[in-house]
Amino acid sequence: MPSLSYLVARLLQIIPTFLLVMVFIFLLVRMLPGDPAIAMAEAKATDAQVVQIRRNLGLDQPLPVQFMVFVKNTLSGDLGRSIMMKAPVSEVILSRLPTTIFLSLYAVALAVLLAGPLAFLAAMRANTTTDVVIRGVFQVGLSMPVFYIGLVLLTVLAAQLRWFPVGGYGTTFLGNLHHLMLPALSVALYTSAIIVRNLRASLIEVLDADYVQFARAKGLTPRIVMTRHVLRNALVSTVTLLGLSIGNLMSGTLVTETVFAIPGVGRLMLEAIFARDYPLIQGLTLTFAVMVSVVFLLTDVVQSLLDPRLRKS
Amino acid sequence: MKRFLPLLLGAALGFGAATSALAIERGGSMTFARYDDSTVIDPVWADRNPDLWMITSLYETLLRNGADGAIEPGLAESYAVAGDGKSISLKLRDGLKFSDGSAITGDDVVFSLDRARNPDGPWGGLLGSVEKVTAEGGKVTLSLKQPDPTIPSILATFNTGIVSKAAFEKASGSNDQEKAKAYFDNNPVTSGPFTMKSRVAGSSMSFARNPNYWRAGEDGKSLPYLDGVDFVVIPDDATRILKLQAGEVDVAEFIPFARVGELSGDASLKMELFPSTRIIYAPINTRDTRKDGSKNPLADLKVRQALNYATDKNMLIKLVTFDTGKPMTSLMSAATQLHYGPEPLYPYNPEKAKQLLAEAGADGGLDITFTTLAGSADDATLFTALQQMWAPLGVNLKVEQVDNPTRGAKNRNGEFDIHTYGWANDVNDPAQVTGWLGYYKQRQAVGTGWNNQEFNTLFEASNSEVDPAKRKDEYKRMQEIYAAEAPLLFLYETPFAVAVSKSLENYVQTPLGANDFSEAWRAK
Repeated sequence: MPSLSYLVARLLQIIPTFLLVMVFIFLLVRMLPGDPAIAMAEAKATDAQVVQIRRNLGLDQPLPVQFMVFVKNTLSGDLGRSIMMKAPVSEVILSRLPTTIFLSLYAVALAVLLAGPLAFLAAMRANTTTDVVIRGVFQVGLSMPVFYIGLVLLTVLAAQLRWFPVGGYGTTFLGNLHHLMLPALSVALYTSAIIVRNLRASLIEVLDADYVQFARAKGLTPRIVMTRHVLRNALVSTVTLLGLSIGNLMSGTLVTETVFAIPGVGRLMLEAIFARDYPLIQGLTLTFAVMVSVVFLLTDVVQSLLDPRLRKS
Repeated sequence: MKRFLPLLLGAALGFGAATSALAIERGGSMTFARYDDSTVIDPVWADRNPDLWMITSLYETLLRNGADGAIEPGLAESYAVAGDGKSISLKLRDGLKFSDGSAITGDDVVFSLDRARNPDGPWGGLLGSVEKVTAEGGKVTLSLKQPDPTIPSILATFNTGIVSKAAFEKASGSNDQEKAKAYFDNNPVTSGPFTMKSRVAGSSMSFARNPNYWRAGEDGKSLPYLDGVDFVVIPDDATRILKLQAGEVDVAEFIPFARVGELSGDASLKMELFPSTRIIYAPINTRDTRKDGSKNPLADLKVRQALNYATDKNMLIKLVTFDTGKPMTSLMSAATQLHYGPEPLYPYNPEKAKQLLAEAGADGGLDITFTTLAGSADDATLFTALQQMWAPLGVNLKVEQVDNPTRGAKNRNGEFDIHTYGWANDVNDPAQVTGWLGYYKQRQAVGTGWNNQEFNTLFEASNSEVDPAKRKDEYKRMQEIYAAEAPLLFLYETPFAVAVSKSLENYVQTPLGANDFSEAWRAK
């Protein structure tokens, strides 16, 4: 197990990350041309109304003052009120977050289930027809944008064959699994393409390593060689990659949730940006930062479980 | 042949009788796929189209917009404007009820109109001329600061929908806006054809029939015919259409024009092109200098006219709207009241364009930037076409792609040469669009900086003109001036393209964009 001090040190690293995220996001959204007042009501507001809206939103204050208010409120757990949704930001985000987390976990599960066995098979039969076919199929998956895979899946499996509903979320757990199958699959195809490539390569490399040759020479059973020596070493880099791709996956939900009409935080982010909804953009960015940090933390923990050398650093 | 005529006539009549016997069936529900979700359907605080276009399904107004655009009675059975134009009185119908069964009274009307006058709300200005609203029993009187010919139209507009005073005041919140949100979120008491049944933010919403709605259907019983309307939110155009084709929904709104032809050929669907007040146009910066201080060639009227003549509107309509659009004949759409425009503005005439540019001394080449919406296929096509149409005149057209709020900011700061824009009326009166596009004091004439004294004076006069004939003349003159002065590149009007399942009848999107399910019915 990783030591407690390792975990604490790792957690403390998150604090400066968050501070930086807060400064960046605060400045970045305000550097965008156009503000919420102008984005509202298809810009039908008169100039006088725009001035009034800015005052109501506190946007007429100097930037440092706005920033202090933002930091103070955020630390006290108040993310402000969404301009577009006319409701507290935390409430809006919490109502949408479970959907996105569900979709992400679903996609990761599918990706691992799909990629793991196939990478293994490809590595065992390296440079045979099986290997070439597996790699070829995933290469195609890798080179197609997620929204395109999504639309193809929707057209064929949902609209024509009617195996799945066209978009939406469902109300029960099984309904969720059914509704989210296609979006999860279209994200998973991309993610698993990356995993297959990496896992296959590291498996082949490890299979050829001296310590594996030695383990075999020692007379260990193939099963023990595989689990104790090969997999454990080959997985280290794949876990890193999986962690990183979960980070990517979060941003991928912006597109997937729009194509598949899923009410998650990804689509919310897109809407918030187009509406220049500063409080909501800030709240969502912090949420994404928390989620990515948690995933990276878990990745580090899993890695240190796999590789004791990492616990010391 | 003659002998068959009565027979044919009889057959035709018989067929007619058969179809009317088929007409109107009650019950059932419909599912509607929308491009965006509602956040607060409240007459006073709604400011986005997905909210605005649903308000009249929940909240009935005192007056209504008839099918031909004329003002008709609503909750008020009649209205009368005083001789001096400084007050309007309305008489409420007897026996009106909210969805919870409580009576709709004069107090509710006063409460609703006072809320609507809140100057902080986005639509408060529409009732700016109202000094006081009072009620005595079923008689409601609006006292005005000055005569205002737009008031009947405003009383038929979503922002004056009637809410229940007793129920609204019970909603939690420290101010009217928070109360409005809480009221909406907790199945509000309504006066319109429907009530809110349930809602999952960002995903779906259900309306149920309001059993107390006042209007009667063709069968003499109260509207609406449907028991309910279910909404699903599907922002992506392609997915929304797939959902319709898979038979999971009955209606998909905002069909991209590129797909209208294909869906028209689908036997299970009706491709509706509802007439709208939507116009696509391009404001031209008419200021003497650009924002960067350089001389602005577009300040010259002849250059603006030349560019309008050099634009082949029919070609653009073909390329961008796939022949669903119509060329603009005035600053406002032909579906707007008091529209005047006998023929399309600036018919394509490259020779005349060349001549006008020569007269303006601008035939030695012009550099113009065209600002478009990033990611908009329509805007990209528009730019490419204009670039080719104008190149022979020596116009070097460059593109600048921005997102919507940036475009809005550039418009307000006068930081553009020409950019794309769209508009749809919210009010069934020409003052809104005319003030927006032409009146300098409101928005510098849609950001163009065009400041025409005669136009401004006419606009101000028309806003308190009680004589309809005089007001009509003023509007005719304003539209003539605007057309001749060309502060815009006049492009085209577009319909609302909505695909509807064959089994559903009478769903309507009004020229103002509102969704009207009150007379929709489903054949079983």
